[in-house]
Amino acid sequence: MRKRLLMVCVALACAASLAFGTDFAVVAHASNPVKAMTLADLGKIFRGKTATWQNGRNITLVLREPDSPGMKFVIEKVLGGTLEEGKAILNESSRKTNVPVVFVSSDAEVVKVVEGNSAALGVVDVYNITSGVKVVKIDEKQPFDPGYVLKGH
Amino acid sequence: MRILNRILCSTIALTIAGATAGSVRAQDRTVPHTTSSDEANHWYELAMKEREDLLFVDKGIDSMREAVKADPHFALAHAALAYFTNDPLEEKRERALAQKNMANASPDERLLITWMNGTKDGDLVPAIAAMNDLIAKYPSDERLQNLDGEWLCSNQGAFDRGESVLKQLLKNDPKYFPALNNLAYCYALSGEAKLAPALMEEYVVALPNQPNPQDSYGEIMRMLGDYQAALEHYNKALQIDPDFNSSKVGVASTYALMGEQEKARAQYLVAIDGTKERATKLDYRILWAMTYYRENQAERARQELRKIVVEADRDGMAIEHAEAHRDMALFNPDAQTALKDIDHARVALLARDFAKGDRDNELATILFTRAFIAARAGLKDEVQKSLEPLSVMARTSRSYIVQRAYHSAKGASLLMQQKYDAAIQELDDDAQNPLSLQLLADAQNKAGQAAEAQKTLTTLAAINDERVETAVAVPQARAALKASPPTTAQATPFHIHP
Repeated sequence: MRKRLLMVCVALACAASLAFGTDFAVVAHASNPVKAMTLADLGKIFRGKTATWQNGRNITLVLREPDSPGMKFVIEKVLGGTLEEGKAILNESSRKTNVPVVFVSSDAEVVKVVEGNSAALGVVDVYNITSGVKVVKIDEKQPFDPGYVLKGH
Repeated sequence: MRILNRILCSTIALTIAGATAGSVRAQDRTVPHTTSSDEANHWYELAMKEREDLLFVDKGIDSMREAVKADPHFALAHAALAYFTNDPLEEKRERALAQKNMANASPDERLLITWMNGTKDGDLVPAIAAMNDLIAKYPSDERLQNLDGEWLCSNQGAFDRGESVLKQLLKNDPKYFPALNNLAYCYALSGEAKLAPALMEEYVVALPNQPNPQDSYGEIMRMLGDYQAALEHYNKALQIDPDFNSSKVGVASTYALMGEQEKARAQYLVAIDGTKERATKLDYRILWAMTYYRENQAERARQELRKIVVEADRDGMAIEHAEAHRDMALFNPDAQTALKDIDHARVALLARDFAKGDRDNELATILFTRAFIAARAGLKDEVQKSLEPLSVMARTSRSYIVQRAYHSAKGASLLMQQKYDAAIQELDDDAQNPLSLQLLADAQNKAGQAAEAQKTLTTLAAINDERVETAVAVPQARAALKASPPTTAQATPFHIHP
């Protein structure tokens, strides 16, 4: 049995065959003073146009491999083009020094890298966050807020 | 399936043996819990074992009540009781007591309380972070991971993450059988039901003397539409434990789905007798009353639901009070009086004070039901009237229940405006709700997407559960498919709107 007889339809919302989308969280080191940014700001970081935090430290971007589940949505949403165009931007040779992009194989690794690097900025499935990272609001909203822009499908 | 395994037995034994009044217990395997009372500690452990491992739900709640009685300052027990109870007044009271006594709790207990309260309040970002911190710190706390896995799958629909948590748990300890139960449900709920029976086989073999494995197997088979197998498993559960109430109501609901309403009613009465939880009794009573609708005795069903309304109102059970009105509305063939029924549900809900998150979720359900009834009757203005308050709620609510209800009501409104493509997009967002699926099939038909409509009908027709929405929408879908089988090019339209 499940723990409760759920009679209300929406309380039993998972009875059919469709998986839900997830919200992606933009995460920074817990000590990073940044609390919020716009999607456009995030796009500039992804493009390497904004390279430093306000304190002058160089930003490192930490992402899952572009072909991993969900990353297509994130890259297309943040950069506004196709996945292939996004990959090209993130893999440009100049990125080694200008907002270097670290690709890792799991959300847990993204969180781990961001927890250990005070200048890092990562994107993860929100269900993988810990208190070792700070969730940065995007366009004044955080994951699960109505209208949150990084809500995947 | 939920069962006590050897690791938990030893953990519990160690916990009880190591209990020291007034101190934070130093346990490295599980999240500690702080109480000044050995008796409270005993009841807490028993409650968790009953509720989480064995799924003796009522007993578990009762034991947790004993824990807070033995130590009224036991913050984690208050939070757990608030998390487990299905009585909204008790939930609100216990949550307030957990907050009040938070200073007595250790930092890790506070994290667990943050998770329990946050998951109920919709304050999910800190809740998720808290749970992940705890899992990282207590990798051997299997109950904790199981709780998380269950929440992810059953409450959040975060199937991938839930599956991952539960699989990791089973990889670490293949004999942690409660996780088999949750993993099977995770598959069943995510549309991978075919994967569930193999896990159930493993579960019943592992725990041949426990009722819940057979009970869960019964429910899974019922979800798959194999009613005979469902009855066999439920009956095996009752042979093991004649008092296992979940199986009593399981038998009843299976009969109801099979169309054997006399037998269903008799079994529901047995289940009602078998629980002393007021809300659960009323929930079962509503299911019992619905059997009259299932056999087209609408007036008798309304009579019985009116009695439930009176009792629920008297006992302050606002959710059940509202639900009885909502059921009357959904089965009321006259749209105008159905709208009155549903408005009574709304009034009943708002008349009582309970946790805002719960109230918003219930209210959203009622408002979408209102929109559905109005759409079914082609009452465009009434659909709009239902949508407006939902729009306001959806602007601020983080609840996915509120969000889905809003999108479905918006879909109903767009359907009325003949904006079929836009309606389809909105209704797709709530594709787990039989009422939304019915509207979706209608929109797809009207948009000329006959093949898609047929698929939607097939999905809808395959739902086998006891919800009122299922009772309303599924028979129509099955009839439509029978009239126009999936092999034909044209889908059969629903009679939702002329």
